[in-house]
Amino acid sequence: MSDSRAALAPDTSDRAQSVPAVQVRGLTKVYDDGLIQALNGVNLDVGHGEMVSITGPSGCGKSTLLHLLAALDVPTSGSIRVQGHAVDSLDHPNRYRREVVGLVFQLHNLLPRLSLLGNVEVAMMGSRRPRRERARHALELLGEVGLGSLAHRHPTQLSGGERQRVAIARAMANDPTVLLADEPTGSLDTASVHSVLSLFVKLRAERSTTIVLVTHDSSVAEVADRRIEMLDGCVVKDNQPASVPRSGGPDRP
Amino acid sequence: MFSLVLQNLWAKKGRSLGIAAAIGLAVMTVVTLMVVSTSLETAAAQILTIGRADFSVAQKGVAEVLNSNLTNRDLQNVRLTPGVASAIGVYVATENLNADNPIFIEIGIDPSDLQGFGVRVLSGRPYGPTSPHEVMLGWRAAQNFGLHVGDQFKALGTSNTVVGIYTTGNSFGDSGAMFPLPVLQGYNRVPGQMTLFFVKVEPGQPVVKVQSTIDRTYPGMTTIRTAEQFGRADTNLVFLRAAVTSSTVLAILIGAVIVGNTMLLSLFERTREFGLLRAIGWARTRVVGLVVGEGVILALIGSCLGLLLAVLAVALLKYVPALRGVLHPTFDQSAFLRGLATGLGMAVIGALYPGLRASSLRPLEALSRE
Repeated sequence: MSDSRAALAPDTSDRAQSVPAVQVRGLTKVYDDGLIQALNGVNLDVGHGEMVSITGPSGCGKSTLLHLLAALDVPTSGSIRVQGHAVDSLDHPNRYRREVVGLVFQLHNLLPRLSLLGNVEVAMMGSRRPRRERARHALELLGEVGLGSLAHRHPTQLSGGERQRVAIARAMANDPTVLLADEPTGSLDTASVHSVLSLFVKLRAERSTTIVLVTHDSSVAEVADRRIEMLDGCVVKDNQPASVPRSGGPDRP
Repeated sequence: MFSLVLQNLWAKKGRSLGIAAAIGLAVMTVVTLMVVSTSLETAAAQILTIGRADFSVAQKGVAEVLNSNLTNRDLQNVRLTPGVASAIGVYVATENLNADNPIFIEIGIDPSDLQGFGVRVLSGRPYGPTSPHEVMLGWRAAQNFGLHVGDQFKALGTSNTVVGIYTTGNSFGDSGAMFPLPVLQGYNRVPGQMTLFFVKVEPGQPVVKVQSTIDRTYPGMTTIRTAEQFGRADTNLVFLRAAVTSSTVLAILIGAVIVGNTMLLSLFERTREFGLLRAIGWARTRVVGLVVGEGVILALIGSCLGLLLAVLAVALLKYVPALRGVLHPTFDQSAFLRGLATGLGMAVIGALYPGLRASSLRPLEALSRE
């Protein structure tokens, strides 16, 4: 893959739209010299604008899969393509994480000394947006997650759900086409879970963002229009809608 | 990113202040040493510019120029060197007159050489060539002691009559006294010994060429034209410069270790933060820039603090008895620039390693740290 900045810009051509937003082939990941097999030949396609939940028990490999999609780790074998980018062989993974995908973690990981505005803006540092434009965009995103009026407050003044909404705004700061969320509701109360999930639904509807949502909570998974279940590093169930090309499919019946 | 740097520093005000204070102390030490050494160097080198000479000649390699031992034979040799128009021999000594004047400059010079040396008698007359109790005071010294022509001036262990007040146009020369050459030599028990020759070159002759001829022909002597060349005749000055340079390097190293240690501690506390920044797409260089940027801001604050402390330290040093009357410190641009460079050097060297460590954190591992 070319390492030019232009190479990481979302490809919106017809050809690009015809291939899945996320394409995983024969993905394996082993730790401790092969003692732990976290992923075992996973195949997966996620269509553009699709919202997919990945569920399974602890240790099934769902978070590992998400980390590999986010280029936070490298696979042992197999290939990953996200928006046409070969994630398994990126020259500049940091640029990919900044420009192609947005990440939401279980813990919001907001910087406590920065205001909400600053926390969203920090993700845009290094982008080509001028400073004033960054502030305007951050404010706009905070408005979208319903926290525009609290932009100058600090994370410690917010509830858990509000903080996670700020984290989602931060993940959307560079207008990624793919949002990767790892247990985003894992540490939230029921009311907050509802508000965060509503936000994901809204993002998908309004921005056509492709969302991959990892969760251990089956009720959370239900918000997605496609549910994938994993067990022992394999996809064991995929209620794939007919509109998405079936190149991957379950690895294990 | 600048505002982020400021916010990070503000969030740990106590620690930031501590680092800035450490930088400030190091900068103060370096600047004070530099100002004091430059002041001493300037004071010492001023002796060379008393006369209207093209250059001076001293004994080569003595610890301090006042120990220079030149003879009448040396003077004759210099006078006979091609291109030399005239050469005047003087003996220079210092005397501890009292607590306020611990290093009073006394110059022994023949009265016939006064005009050639650039001395203008403002009032009174020159002393006789061998008059044992006659003295001429520089106008600054006369003003300082409140003496006039005809008054008595105690020096060389006796009372001397002030026969004239002179000026050389040089503050160093005007703050001292002049005696007949054999009288000053006799008092210091160095008959025939001279400290410096002041040489004038024939019109049209290149000064450097004449200097070079003397340096080459007489290896025991050295010519001095500039303050930088003063070290040839005054090895103390060379040692002083070396000491200042060593102190600067040492201050930078010690300061860098302090800054580095403190910032490393900060790195451990902020591991998750750096992990997050890497996870959301910050480049390594940007993370290094953030940490080094914090160091640079601290360096600027510390340097300003250090320069302020240096001004105070030098002002206090002027009252140290051993330095009274000798230290005429001036804070020039180079002292400020050196202070700033010291502070920046410490901060950048100290912050670079923590910055590189922060940038090489693996995002997943960093985010999982408590």
